[in-house]
Amino acid sequence: MDVEARNNVHVSGRGDRAIVFAHGFGCDQNMWRFVAPEFEGDFKVVLFDHVGAGGSDLSAYNKDKYSTLHGYADDVVEIMRELRLKDAVFVGHSVSAMIGLLASSKAPELFGRMVLVGPSPRYIDDGDYVGGFSEKQIVELLEFLEDNHMGWSVAMAPSIMGNPDRPELGEELTNSFCRTDPEIAKAFARVTFTSDNRDDLAEVTVPTLILQCSEDIIASEEVGKFVRSRIPGSEIVFLKATGHCPNLSAPAEVVSAIRAYV
Amino acid sequence: MSEFEPRDEYRDLFENAPCGYLTIGSDGRITKVNATLTAWTGIEKDKFAGRRLHQFLNIAGRIYYETHIAPLLRMQGFFNEFALDFETAAGERLAVIANAAERRDGDGTLLFTAVVVIKATDRRRYERQLVDSRTELQKGLATERETAKLREQFIAVLGHDLRNPLAAISAGARILQRSGALQEHKHLRVLDMINTTVTRMSDLIDHILDFARGRLGGGITLSRDAKPLEPVLEQVVDELRTASPQRVIETTFELTERVNCDRTRIGQLLSNLIGNALTHGAADQPVRVGAKTDSGKFKLWVANAGEPIPAAAMERLFEPFFRGDVRDSRQGLGLGLHICWQIAQAHGGRLDVTSTPDETRFVFTMPLVP
Repeated sequence: MDVEARNNVHVSGRGDRAIVFAHGFGCDQNMWRFVAPEFEGDFKVVLFDHVGAGGSDLSAYNKDKYSTLHGYADDVVEIMRELRLKDAVFVGHSVSAMIGLLASSKAPELFGRMVLVGPSPRYIDDGDYVGGFSEKQIVELLEFLEDNHMGWSVAMAPSIMGNPDRPELGEELTNSFCRTDPEIAKAFARVTFTSDNRDDLAEVTVPTLILQCSEDIIASEEVGKFVRSRIPGSEIVFLKATGHCPNLSAPAEVVSAIRAYV
Repeated sequence: MSEFEPRDEYRDLFENAPCGYLTIGSDGRITKVNATLTAWTGIEKDKFAGRRLHQFLNIAGRIYYETHIAPLLRMQGFFNEFALDFETAAGERLAVIANAAERRDGDGTLLFTAVVVIKATDRRRYERQLVDSRTELQKGLATERETAKLREQFIAVLGHDLRNPLAAISAGARILQRSGALQEHKHLRVLDMINTTVTRMSDLIDHILDFARGRLGGGITLSRDAKPLEPVLEQVVDELRTASPQRVIETTFELTERVNCDRTRIGQLLSNLIGNALTHGAADQPVRVGAKTDSGKFKLWVANAGEPIPAAAMERLFEPFFRGDVRDSRQGLGLGLHICWQIAQAHGGRLDVTSTPDETRFVFTMPLVP
C-alpha cells in the first residue's frame, strides 16, 4: 500500500519539526492553501487528503474501514509513520480535530502538539450537551447532499481525479476542490455528524490548543469550551474570525495563533 | 423617451429582475437585497441587512454552505449552480439555484460578493424525484441480483433432481436389456421406447435448464477455446444420422482457420438446427449442413426443403415457447431455436433465417475471435 499516493500526500518546506495539516468534511487539502505556505520557511509541511476527498485514491475507499473516524485516524498514523515524523505539530480542522485526537491516542509518540480548529466531539444534542443539531437535521443534511452533486458524474471522475493540477481543464474543474463521489461524501457526512467522541477527550496526552471562531454554526463556542474543559491541560484561543473556516477567511490570524503556540 | 431615466432603469432592473439579487460585504454580512428576493421570501430588506446568508437557509443548507460553498467561493472566487433552500418568513421552503462571484479591487482585496438566486421549485422537485427513483432502482437491482442468485441455485438443484430419477430409469432399462430377461419382440420395443423417451426427456431438461439460465440468470455462459471444431460438428451430425437412419444429411465443412468458441455450445446449436430441419423439412429431401471460415468470420448453416415458414411465424421464431403450428407432439417445448439464438448472442454472433418455397435456411455467423 502506497500511503503517500493513497492520501495524496504533499511534503514541502524545510525544518526539523514537521507540521501536518488535516482538512475537514467538505473540501480537501486546498483548505490550507493560505496557511500552510506560511510555515514552509521553518517547518517540514505535510498536506494530505483523506481517502475519498480531493486527489486521494478513491479505489482505496473501503466502506467498513471508513464507517468510523478510527479508519481515518489509522491513515493519519500511517502517513506520519511513513514520513518518520516525531513530535510533529498536528493541525486538524473540523472533523479532523477528532481524527487527530484519535490518532494521537493510537501513537502519542508521533505528536508533539495539536491544534484543533473548530473541533466538535459530537454534533447532535444529547441531554444537557448542546452539539447544535438534532438527529433529524443531520438526516436532512444527508438528503440535502444529494441535491448538490457538485457536478460529479462517473464519466468525469477520472479526468478530475487524474489531473487535479491541470488548469486547462478549465470549466470541468469548477467546484473540484470540494467535489467527490456523492456516495463517499454522504458516508463521510454520516460518520462526521453522527460520531460521539466526548469520552475520547480525556484520553488526550498531547498538549493541545483549540482555535475557536465566533458565529460558527458547525462548532459553537460552547462546544469549543466543552472540548477545552475535557482535554487535560488544553488551551483555547478565541479568534476574531467568524464562521467555520478561519483557515480560508482569516488565514493570518490562524497562522499567528498557531505560531504563538508551537 | 424611455419610461425611466437610465439610473432608474438600472435600479429597476436590480430591484425587480426575475431573479433574486443580494450582495455580501467583505465581512460576510449582507449589504443589499433586491425586491424580488424580499417578495419571494417575505423577509423585509432590513431583516437581511447585517446578517449572514446561511442564516436564511435551512439547517442542512447552512452546514453545506459552511463546509462546501463558502470555502469554494473563497478558493475559486465564485460558485455556480448550487441548490439551496431559503426559509421564508412563513416558515416555508424556497428552493433555488444560486450562483455567486466575488468582486475584488486591483490589489486583490475583497470588495463584495454578488449572489444571484433563481427560483427553481419545479426543477428541484424534478431532480429530487430523479434521485429518489434512482435510489429505488438501485434497491430494486440489489433485490434482483439476490433473486437471480437464488434462481441459479434453484436451477442447479432442479437440474440435478430431475436428472437423477431419469438416470435410474435409464440404468434399469440397460440392466433389463443386458440380462436377456426380455425376449419377446413386444417387450423389446417397450425397452426401445423407454430409451428414446429417456433421451428426449434428458434433452428437454437440458433445454429447460439452458433457458432458465439464459433467460432468468446471467445469460448462457461460455467456456471458449480454439481447438478443432470440425470433429465436434461431425459427431453431432453422426448422432443425428443414427437417430434418423431413414433421412439424408449432407455436409460441407471448410474450416481453414481456428474458431474461438464454446465447442459444446456450437455443437448444441447445430444439433438443435438439424433436429429442427428433420422435424419440419420435407422427409424425402436431404438436410444440407455447411460450415466455413471466411474473412474473419465463422459461418454455419442448415438448410432443408419443404413448406416455407409462414411470414407471421418468422418474426417470433426465436422467442421462447414458440411452437408454430403444432402438428407433432415431438416438437418439444419450443425452446430449441431460442437457445440457438442465445448461444449465437453469447458468441457475439447472429442467427438469421430465410425461408422460400425452395428452401428454409438458418445461418449462424460469428467472429473468429471475440
